[in-house]
Amino acid sequence: MSYAVELENISKSFGEVQAVKNVSLKIRKNEFFSLLGPSGCGKTTTLRIIAGLEFPDTGRVMLNDEDVTDLPTHKRNIGMVFQTLALFPHMNVYDNIAFGLRMRKVPEREIRQRVKEMLEIVRMEGFEKRKINQLSGGQRQRVALARALIIKPAVLLLDEPLGALDLKIRQHMMVELKKIQKEVGTTFIYVTHDQTEAMVMSDRMAIMKDGVIQQIGSPHNVYMRPVNKFVALFIGDAINFIEGTYKDKGVLSTDLGDLKVPELSGYTGKSVILAIRPEKFFLENNIPSDIDNVIEGRVIFSIFRGSFVEYRVELDNGQEMVIFQPYLVAGQKIYEDGSRIKIGWYRDSAVILSH
Amino acid sequence: MSHRREPWYITILDRIRSSRRIKVFLLVFLPFIYLIIFFFAPFIIALMYSLGMFKQVVYEFVFQPQISLEYYYRLFQYPGVLVAIQRSFYYAILTTVGTFLLSYPVAYYLGVKLPDKYQEMVVLVLFTPFWVNFLLRIYGMRFIFHELGFLNMILTTLGIVNDPIKILGTDTAVILVMIYTYVILMILPIYGVLEKLDKELLEAAATLGASPVKTFLKVTLPLSVPGILAGSLLVFIPAVGEFVIPELVGGANTVTLGTVIYNFFLRVKGTMGWGLGSAAGLIYIGLILVLSYLYIRLVGGEIRLG
Repeated sequence: MSYAVELENISKSFGEVQAVKNVSLKIRKNEFFSLLGPSGCGKTTTLRIIAGLEFPDTGRVMLNDEDVTDLPTHKRNIGMVFQTLALFPHMNVYDNIAFGLRMRKVPEREIRQRVKEMLEIVRMEGFEKRKINQLSGGQRQRVALARALIIKPAVLLLDEPLGALDLKIRQHMMVELKKIQKEVGTTFIYVTHDQTEAMVMSDRMAIMKDGVIQQIGSPHNVYMRPVNKFVALFIGDAINFIEGTYKDKGVLSTDLGDLKVPELSGYTGKSVILAIRPEKFFLENNIPSDIDNVIEGRVIFSIFRGSFVEYRVELDNGQEMVIFQPYLVAGQKIYEDGSRIKIGWYRDSAVILSH
Repeated sequence: MSHRREPWYITILDRIRSSRRIKVFLLVFLPFIYLIIFFFAPFIIALMYSLGMFKQVVYEFVFQPQISLEYYYRLFQYPGVLVAIQRSFYYAILTTVGTFLLSYPVAYYLGVKLPDKYQEMVVLVLFTPFWVNFLLRIYGMRFIFHELGFLNMILTTLGIVNDPIKILGTDTAVILVMIYTYVILMILPIYGVLEKLDKELLEAAATLGASPVKTFLKVTLPLSVPGILAGSLLVFIPAVGEFVIPELVGGANTVTLGTVIYNFFLRVKGTMGWGLGSAAGLIYIGLILVLSYLYIRLVGGEIRLG
């Protein structure tokens, strides 16, 4: 199988700081791939290495099976949407979008046609003559996208392009970006620190920390099967950890008693962490009869969040848990502060993480 | 609580503090008065002299209610005036072009290539020659350009010329010294624009397939036009009126408009000298205004056209 982008053992340092450590990645054709991580994790440097705006100290960069490691940016067929968008302030919308085609010496007739098509794709028809400073944030976003896409790049790189937008417009643009990606069928590599953006848009994503890739997988896979505590905490709204020692046959010994957990080999006698997402719990009367684990706790407080109720529950060992309960029926019971409740979950809704 | 009368100046300050209109008035009024006294009034007086509205009675200039273009007419009859005007513009244009060609690479390196932390220091170093008094620097240049001077020493030692060449007193000397004097006025505004230039724009151009040369021509250069515009006006306008440099490093063949005006006022003197000098000064101002306007229209338009 051939890939749109392949990184092989890429490392890059800036002075004393090692920004990217031995990163290898294979990004499939027409995939929406996100590089996700906190600031300073090396995601932007990785993107800039793919773009040729930085050159790696070691390793290889392949674009469409071609080694481009030493090729300067303008000779790689990539498109990029910058965090600041970097639209040319001295040009109008048309000239900004046409820039890449003019550099490729495409005849002006064809440029006019393609700019028109591109403006339709990003829903900006009729804005050709507008100046950049006459556009709203969302409109600039679309122009930057059109400018990068019109050159039909092998891969489109996006560096936190939605960062500057209001929440509502950002949510709208996320869906819009996803649609556009499906429509044009180009490989998108999207850098963000916002897990929601990555979850909403990505086919697959890589979570980075301190220059190292922690996990690569689909949003579902990363959410449900985080490989370590960092990923578990970084993805999703919240997660609960219970420490314990792994006994044989899927039993975890904790100070809450023995809990049934996924069966794993090679963990016997090891100290591990059980991670459970807040929405995986059943409370009181809703606990099914075939449930694997039931423990008790005391409600500290509850927050009505609209589509669900968030409980903070103190367990008998003093540990605090976050529990989300869907709010399905009007007038549904909300457990009062201080009341004792039973909490149940299936063994397979939890994940075992090593320390 | 007893009623206490505030001192009068406190009352006035309170009035000022509480009123936006008074504040704006004071802020604008004082500079405005200054401009009227030191800029508009001399201008009007010069205009009146050039139109023959003063006549000399013994040692005093007395107002006479008449307007005549006689001095303007006489000015162009005066030997050498037209040539001096032409020469002034010739010097100024070459100085502007020369300073631009020297400045742009320097400003580009400073603003685009040099890391931010070194920029201030290098700009400061560039300024150091200008800590020395202007006249001292010009006299220094005389030593360099002299027939037995530094430049000729190098040229003859290296065997580039056999005999010392005459530079002092020629156009070349005047233009070289003018470029040297004015170059910093060109560097600073261009540097100012390039330093603020968003470097991601250059990266964006590269991702769109623009080579470094294309990026420079299509992005960097058009975006530095405001700096080039400011720099060339800062150089060109005083360069047209320059009379010290031609006087000190030039000779009989480097008389400029500035020298002409200077001579009318201080050598010819009298209503004749003042009238002719004022007329020459107004022609200078008029030409500068027209040329600057055309230049801004021409080059400034480039910004909009891209």
